[in-house]
Amino acid sequence: MTQGKFDPRLSRRNFVESALSLSALTAAAATLPAALPGMSQQAWAAGAPVKGYGVTTAQLKDWSIMTKSNSVTMDYTPTNADIGVFMRDVMSNDLGDTHDFFIFDGGTEDVLGPEGYYAPIVEDHPELTLWARTPDTWKRSDLIRADDTQWGVPVIGNGDAFGYFPEVIGANPNGQDEIPWTTFFEGEQVKGRVAIDRSWLQSMSETANFLKHHGRAEIEDPADLTQEEARAVADYLVERKQAGHFRTIFTAFEEQVQLLSNKEIDMINCWEPATRDANLALGPGTVIYAFTVEGYYKWGHGAYVATAAMDRDNVDNIYKVLNYFLGGEYRAYQAKERGYAGPNMDLGVEYATEHGWPQEDIDLLKYTGEKVERKFEKPFWGKTTPSNADVMEEEWQRFLNA
Amino acid sequence: MLDRLTPSGVAVPAFLITWSLVVILPLLVIVLFSFLQVKSYRVVYVPTLGTWESVIDSGRWIVAVRTLRIAITMTLIELLLAFPFALWLAKGCKSKPAKAIIITLLTIPFFLDTSSRIIVWRSILGTNGIVNTVLTSLGIVDEPISWLLYSEFAVHFGMLGSYFPTMVFPIFMIMSLIDDDYLQASSDLGASPGQTLLYVILPMSLPGVVAGVVFTLVPLMAAFVEPQMLGGGFVNLLGNSVNSALQELKYPTAAALSTIVVALLGVCLAALILITRKRFDMSTMFQAIRR
Repeated sequence: MTQGKFDPRLSRRNFVESALSLSALTAAAATLPAALPGMSQQAWAAGAPVKGYGVTTAQLKDWSIMTKSNSVTMDYTPTNADIGVFMRDVMSNDLGDTHDFFIFDGGTEDVLGPEGYYAPIVEDHPELTLWARTPDTWKRSDLIRADDTQWGVPVIGNGDAFGYFPEVIGANPNGQDEIPWTTFFEGEQVKGRVAIDRSWLQSMSETANFLKHHGRAEIEDPADLTQEEARAVADYLVERKQAGHFRTIFTAFEEQVQLLSNKEIDMINCWEPATRDANLALGPGTVIYAFTVEGYYKWGHGAYVATAAMDRDNVDNIYKVLNYFLGGEYRAYQAKERGYAGPNMDLGVEYATEHGWPQEDIDLLKYTGEKVERKFEKPFWGKTTPSNADVMEEEWQRFLNA
Repeated sequence: MLDRLTPSGVAVPAFLITWSLVVILPLLVIVLFSFLQVKSYRVVYVPTLGTWESVIDSGRWIVAVRTLRIAITMTLIELLLAFPFALWLAKGCKSKPAKAIIITLLTIPFFLDTSSRIIVWRSILGTNGIVNTVLTSLGIVDEPISWLLYSEFAVHFGMLGSYFPTMVFPIFMIMSLIDDDYLQASSDLGASPGQTLLYVILPMSLPGVVAGVVFTLVPLMAAFVEPQMLGGGFVNLLGNSVNSALQELKYPTAAALSTIVVALLGVCLAALILITRKRFDMSTMFQAIRR
């Protein structure tokens, strides 16, 4: 902040909160030495937990694994992948006042970075030891950068497609076949038993990519549709809906798992972890997450530091957590538990080998890296904050209301 | 005694002013907000008809019609079910413990989270659910019935339990207040049970019916859990549309939809008052049951 200038974000609410925080800190400082004799200020700061807020799938199923590894305690608040809710929480609810970092789909930094909600990444921070060896394909991705500024650290990534039961469509059960999106949208074998995501960001973009691939609509960027393009995509989806192709339009991750586990549907453009969770109930390999002909909704999650957090005492710990996201342990657990890849997959394999993981799990880690590389060869990159978001959402409503 | 309870000259205006500030003013703000627009997740404070145009273009107005249709249908269904049940509970059920148990059971929907209660129906009504499994194993149907779930039927079915208590309680309470001597007198004068129901019970319980209709119709206009969980995205109601707009931070769109809801409710309530005004009016609604 420029000194001498009035910052509109320093509202009366901020002032009252600051005054109360200062009073509380003063009181705490007065009592701490008595309560914790012999504890230095540095040691106290070193033990300060880090508060994160972000998508459910970015979290470890057990954060104590991380605490054992880098001595940082994590207090993570999971949320769904709803961009509106996330933007509202960060912009209107001043989430940076209470949380240190956010994990969300890459793209939010286009708005939240320049507006001052995210702090630029300090690339030479002493705790960010793995930054230099992280490949540029991950760390310099447009998904975590805006205006030539590094706003985020890459966390995980994948190419989203759909889950299917191979026997229903006569596909090879080894899961290596490329299944066309044509089957998803028009396959007679699955007619009336297809579930489509209520998220317009994902479903409209995937449909647009399918139509573009087959030359059935003039589309420049499937992830950012103009009024005419969005109308063409919505028209197609309305036609498929009225033809009775879709069984349901789902909303939540838990719903994805339930729909697959109950075999209520035959195909679903879900997240990959949903197929894993469903297979826990149905047996390995029952549901397959597709390699596709036309492409994927490619995405990457970034970890972003709240601007307000840079003035707090736990910055070192925050950067230890960011570094952890680039390391082998996080990589190995994310790949094992959710099937997600990320930067430095080799460190994941190394971690698993050193910690005596079964060969099956190590092979899975290697496969996860290869799988994501295979997907990333095809179009297209998703966008969380497309410039035509307003018209896309309106056209999506037309599909929902048809 | 009652005359001494007449409010002072200050209390009524004070109440009306407070009421206006708390209820009417936010509604006016909502209406004004609907004439703004959102660009890139930010509200643009320039008056425009753009939001209303997009509400029409995107088919959100169809949702309003659908919502009204389903809300009125459900209110009528609940009324048809609740009236005889309330009559039995108030006048027919002589066992006090049984009555207490039934009233307690009716309050269950108020205790349980709606989502938790409704999601259970998915595993019962699904193609691999209990109902279809029984029907197919008994040979009643050859293949699972798909419209049991993710359909308007499923939404109506899910709403039955949720909105039954709000219709039953007001009718039950008003019927409980009807003195049994009236019913006995009707019978002594030669009226059949049907005539007693039509000419004594029904008019005297009308205030409860009106209250039940209001308490059921109003929340039905904003229902979104049942349509979302059992409609499978095919039964989009105003509550879902408002929720969807809010999730995208499209506050003007949500405001426009809320304005539609309030306007529709106003029309419905006005129609209700017009239809029932020959029988009673709101200001004297409880006089009929006074002895």
